[in-house]
Amino acid sequence: MNLAEKIMALYPSLTQQDFLTVITLQNDSDGKGDYIAKWEHPTLAKPTDEELA
Amino acid sequence: MSSIVISGDTSGTLTLAAPAVSGTNTATLPAATGTVMVSGNMPAFSAYVNSAVSITNSVYTKITFQAEEFDTASAYDNVTNYRFQPLVAGYYQINSSIYWGNGSSLTSVRSTIYKNGSIYKIGAVTPNSTIMDITTLVNCVVYLNGSTDYVEIYGFQNSGGTLTTQGTTSAYSWFNGSMVRSA
Repeated sequence: MNLAEKIMALYPSLTQQDFLTVITLQNDSDGKGDYIAKWEHPTLAKPTDEELA
Repeated sequence: MSSIVISGDTSGTLTLAAPAVSGTNTATLPAATGTVMVSGNMPAFSAYVNSAVSITNSVYTKITFQAEEFDTASAYDNVTNYRFQPLVAGYYQINSSIYWGNGSSLTSVRSTIYKNGSIYKIGAVTPNSTIMDITTLVNCVVYLNGSTDYVEIYGFQNSGGTLTTQGTTSAYSWFNGSMVRSA
């Protein structure tokens, strides 16, 4: 399960549009993997590392 | 204005050379203050993807343009950070294309210019199900301070799975730029 899928599983109300606007997932191609670069959702809290583990 | 003053503040020489042809030519300097730019201090580069890049669904992923066509000032890092970081301050025209191939599974694809690690400009396409040949383009003029500022390219797609860039020659996915005026 990739990062977007983990977040969607945590917050099923999220849409693909949210990943185009208020949420930015990022991978810097440095071997460190995907991470949340920006979380500006108006009502949902940014997931913790534990929730995404 | 009745004179031209040439002043030096260190060792070395400045040579103004006439063209090796007969005749009279006039070079008029503008009535403005600034640094005269010549080819030797106007960085330009061009690089392309020669090994497909995997991009996970809904994740902005840095595109690793590993092959260089030219890099006049060694300002593009094609080994580690895949970024253009010129050491001459000024305004730069930046261009990039990502070739995705078949777009039938995509709802959104993007080429994105990042400046200093953050989204700066986005070029987006929303393919429809019949499009089989998708390229996203992004262009801008950006100020770079000649020391710490840099630009990179990130790709984005939301097909629902992982995609790889298509094409591994200079014609497909590329990143280039050039100074257009000094600071």
